[in-house]
Amino acid sequence: MNMMAREMIHSGSDVTATSVELVDVRKSFGAVEVIHGIDLTIPEGSFVVFVGPSGCGKSTLLRMIAGLEEVTDGLIAIKGREVTDLDPSERGIAMVFQSYALYPHMTVRDNLAFGLKMARTPAEEIAARVASAAGILKIEHLLDRRPGQLSGGQRQRVAIGRAIVRKPDVFLFDEPLSNLDAELRVSMRIEIARLHRELGNTMIYVTHDQTEAMTLADRIVVLRDGRIEQVGSPREIYQDPDNLFVAGFIGSPRMNMLSGAMEEEGHVRVAGQTLPAPVSAPQGETVTLGIRPEHLRVAGAGENGLPAQVDFSEYLGGTQYLYCTLSDGQAITAEHRAPGAIAAGTLVQLAWDVGEARLFDSQGRRLR
Amino acid sequence: MTITETMTHRPVRPADRSAEKAAAKLRRAARARTGAIAYHTAGAAIVLFFIAPFVIAGLSSFRNATEGQTAPLPPWPRAGFSVDSYRTLDTFGAGIWQHTVNSALVSLSTVVLTVVVSLLAGYGFSRYRFPFKNTLFVLIIATLMIPFQSILTPLFIILAKLGLNNSLFGLTLVYVTLQLPFSVFMMRNAFDAVPKEIEEAARIDGARDLRLLVRVLLPLVLPGAATVAIFAFLNAWNEFLAALVLLSSNEHYTLPVLMMAVRAGRLGAINWGAVQAGVVVMTVPCLFVFLLLQRYYMRGLMAGAVK
Repeated sequence: MNMMAREMIHSGSDVTATSVELVDVRKSFGAVEVIHGIDLTIPEGSFVVFVGPSGCGKSTLLRMIAGLEEVTDGLIAIKGREVTDLDPSERGIAMVFQSYALYPHMTVRDNLAFGLKMARTPAEEIAARVASAAGILKIEHLLDRRPGQLSGGQRQRVAIGRAIVRKPDVFLFDEPLSNLDAELRVSMRIEIARLHRELGNTMIYVTHDQTEAMTLADRIVVLRDGRIEQVGSPREIYQDPDNLFVAGFIGSPRMNMLSGAMEEEGHVRVAGQTLPAPVSAPQGETVTLGIRPEHLRVAGAGENGLPAQVDFSEYLGGTQYLYCTLSDGQAITAEHRAPGAIAAGTLVQLAWDVGEARLFDSQGRRLR
Repeated sequence: MTITETMTHRPVRPADRSAEKAAAKLRRAARARTGAIAYHTAGAAIVLFFIAPFVIAGLSSFRNATEGQTAPLPPWPRAGFSVDSYRTLDTFGAGIWQHTVNSALVSLSTVVLTVVVSLLAGYGFSRYRFPFKNTLFVLIIATLMIPFQSILTPLFIILAKLGLNNSLFGLTLVYVTLQLPFSVFMMRNAFDAVPKEIEEAARIDGARDLRLLVRVLLPLVLPGAATVAIFAFLNAWNEFLAALVLLSSNEHYTLPVLMMAVRAGRLGAINWGAVQAGVVVMTVPCLFVFLLLQRYYMRGLMAGAVK
């Protein structure tokens, strides 16, 4: 296997635009395999976000790329060079941790310089690189302080600065914003996006926060149980999910999943109603009709829709969410943008454009 | 009756209120003064209580030769300060310098060896996964339950076989052995308190093995190491029984063994002055080490108590 994979990497290295390549990467802890053969190619200069529920293996995968976690099987290449068994410091990567992981006994300046000192970089160059990184992150005035004297946001800047001075091929971020408060998280998110634009390096970012994934990523990798569920741009992931898991994981409030059965001629029967299906499938097959809350609307007079009873509504100012129950007891959430209030207990007709609905088979796979 | 009526019912006279305020201020000041007096009196009493032994030993070691022959009551020199007692102390054994050097040699070697070994062992127990790790750790801790006196004979035989009996080096090895269980436990806790990410960040920065330990981890476990050092020093400095049993020649005796000879006196006559001088000589280094390391020591003991 490894010989073949090695050849794959070498042939792949002709394509200079490849930054990180994973070939059938596996990880086992004892007898338990947690990463089940990941194949992934990350283009040079892209911003890739690994997203998934906790325990999906996204952090483990990142740590394997960093070299902090041993690879049980498979190969990892960075810039066409196989690094699977190399030491973390020899891989051309830098990592930013969730807990910042600054050296508490060193000043900010020494924190930034530590990696360069370890690499025996000349002192003038260290000073120049530290100054440049501090300038980019606007932390020049903090250089002589210790991490203990900094706020959370400042610490995170220092942690990012420590990554920048290494001039890595690939930046790795492990949930870097999870320890910050909501407001700071937004501003640091913008900061990281700006940094990516300025530096142009490849960045791999792990998060469980779908907003971070959607806003930062060029490409999102959705993981579940140590497998890749889908890889695509935020738009592709949102509009064109490959399966029920991806459809349900991205989007808030989550997509409505209505179970039904196919009827003749591209129709689907849901909650006692026959509705047009976005694609056709063999008659009688059990399917799930996925429709996002924002694509649902309360039907006007004379328009056909799915009858639903409003259980309660949430008013959010610009919009309101209606939490409803269908006649067969299935729950459905609709976003209602019209200004008029809809009280709980009201019976409404929910309508949508058939093109906005997605159809999944009984295995949860997308029907196209 | 409405609320406004209630409020206007009792007119407030400003003069009355200011008098009340002044009285309250006085009362508060009086209370604060009483509190301060009580606090400082209690503090002074406690300080006096703890410092008394040192003062008594210190003062009575400076009595002259005649006074030194009598019990230290009252403890202060009545016929002027004199260093006679220290001169007398120097006539016991191989001279006070020799024994002080012996003690210092043994204690400092014990400190260095204990800190180095427990640092490495604590790091290993904290960070590596290996078979029977916890069993091994419990076994090491369990040796704390074995009374030291019970293994003195076997230790004596082992040292004799190794040709290390009656040598300061052999004694040092025994002290290190006795000191290690507690020290390894202490250092494991210290390393456990260091977040793993800091070590990982250092690995990404290219620090490996010894450089990682010395440049990154050692400063973070310094409180633990200081605690281990203090305990190792005090225990080795004050240890008596093993030194008495394992050392046989006069010139190798450590200070506690010498003090035994001094305390026993010559021909039944106890020189109290020499005893007190010996106490002072033995106490000063302990105080010095403790004061030097105490701020780390407090942090070491408190580590992990509050996050």
